[in-house]
Amino acid sequence: MLDLVRPKIEIRGVSKTYASEHGPVLALRGTDLTVNEGEFVSIVGPSGCGKSTLLYVVGGFLAADGEVAVDGAPIKGPGTDRGVVFQEYALFPWLTVHDNIAFGLERQGLVASEREKIVSRLVGVIGLAGFEKRYPRELSGGMKQRVAIARTLARDPAILLLDEPFGALDAQTREIMQDELLRIWLETRKTVLMVTHDVTEAVYLSNRICVMSARPGQIIEEFTVSLDRGRPREELVVSEQFNSIRNRVWLSVRRQALVAGERNDES
Amino acid sequence: MTKADEFMSSARRGLVRVAPLILFGLIWHIICATGLVNKDFLPAPGAVAAALADLFKGGEITKNLTITLFRAAVGLVLGAACGIWIGVMMARSRHFREYVTPIVGGTYSLPKSALIPLFALWFGIGNVTAIAAVFLACLLPMIVNTYHGVVTTPKVLVWSAEALGTGERELWPRIFIRNALPDIFTGLRIALGFSFVLAISAEMIASTNGIGKLIFMYGENGNYDYMFAGIACMVIVAFLADRVLVILTKRLLVWHESAVTEPETRRR
Repeated sequence: MLDLVRPKIEIRGVSKTYASEHGPVLALRGTDLTVNEGEFVSIVGPSGCGKSTLLYVVGGFLAADGEVAVDGAPIKGPGTDRGVVFQEYALFPWLTVHDNIAFGLERQGLVASEREKIVSRLVGVIGLAGFEKRYPRELSGGMKQRVAIARTLARDPAILLLDEPFGALDAQTREIMQDELLRIWLETRKTVLMVTHDVTEAVYLSNRICVMSARPGQIIEEFTVSLDRGRPREELVVSEQFNSIRNRVWLSVRRQALVAGERNDES
Repeated sequence: MTKADEFMSSARRGLVRVAPLILFGLIWHIICATGLVNKDFLPAPGAVAAALADLFKGGEITKNLTITLFRAAVGLVLGAACGIWIGVMMARSRHFREYVTPIVGGTYSLPKSALIPLFALWFGIGNVTAIAAVFLACLLPMIVNTYHGVVTTPKVLVWSAEALGTGERELWPRIFIRNALPDIFTGLRIALGFSFVLAISAEMIASTNGIGKLIFMYGENGNYDYMFAGIACMVIVAFLADRVLVILTKRLLVWHESAVTEPETRRR
């Protein structure tokens, strides 16, 4: 393989302190992480470890100490180069499926005919043809998340930031959505940074998994995943290769969760 | 379901709705007919209807109703516009909020009708006093509801819009105000009720015309049939205005959860 490895996202010494009723809380402490172009990186860790915070900092939604650079240039706030998908879908409830997907394209200033072309293609990709005029409240959780993904893909961002994107879905829908995401990623080879607490999901989708420590969050362990993505899920998830890495990541996360638990008991 | 069935079921629904009103009128009539109360203090529904018809014939109701509705509408529109603006500004600017919050908090629960004599002193008898009272009464629920609607905009909606290329200024019309619309309409419904209350009160205290004055005058003179007719007319108009607003809200907010589901009483 002669892949030229180029860093897409560089996170250097990022720290973030939150103000809370009980004084300042250090959510992240000197976090470093580099995501290369075309890579699918997952961050896993115990709940409350600051993994979502890190994603919001990369998205430019939260200011933090340290540096986040995309293509070598420090970020200044949110940008269309980084598309985001949130756990709670975050669709605009006052817009139809069609208008939600078209939202970013309108901001971009695309002419209507171009917009329509992109929207109708994406509606097909997410399998929601015929639902264009529905409002989010009329959709199931899985459908909403499909629309959210389509809305983000419409702007064709180089980077996808996924914040527990399937966390609110039932187990079956979650697996279907993971397969769809995997297919989209294999087709587009976008750079993906995903936060999840589901270790199996992380192993199934990522090239690389970063385990975050209990708060204050830091990346303490990394696992490279090299699985044959061409294999169907039922074959892959029962393979020894898959399970050995799944178990190692799971143990690593569990150690951190226990640390976090002990700390909570003390306080 | 056939056409006839549909007609029957919608007719039945309509009947169910008016049934309580018919029952109410019936009880009222029976109380009067049995002479349980003095007829001078509680005129029979028939007498009130006759008085109402008489008032319509003479053009008295139409003329005064127009005046009252004009005062209520102008005060409501001005109050709503200013209230939305102040609510948005409170959410936008911390300084503005710090100045306005104590004033809003201090005047929120004040009965605005207490200020009518003061307004009468300042603005004299008539339109301006009534409109000022309506304006002030409508202003506060609009401020409070608009502000609430804007500040409860979920962060992820704002962030999503930003990541899709929405600038800071565009966020206001496209995200914050849109998110606040259901609350703004809730405020509007409260304000609509207040607008009638204050228009009528102001007319009773400081006006030479309007339905409020009409009711007050007939009451003073002991023409209770006509007083009741005035009240009944106002009840009907206020009810219709509220229905129109509710239907309009449903039309405009089809996307909102509350647009489809009527609050259901719990079964069993």
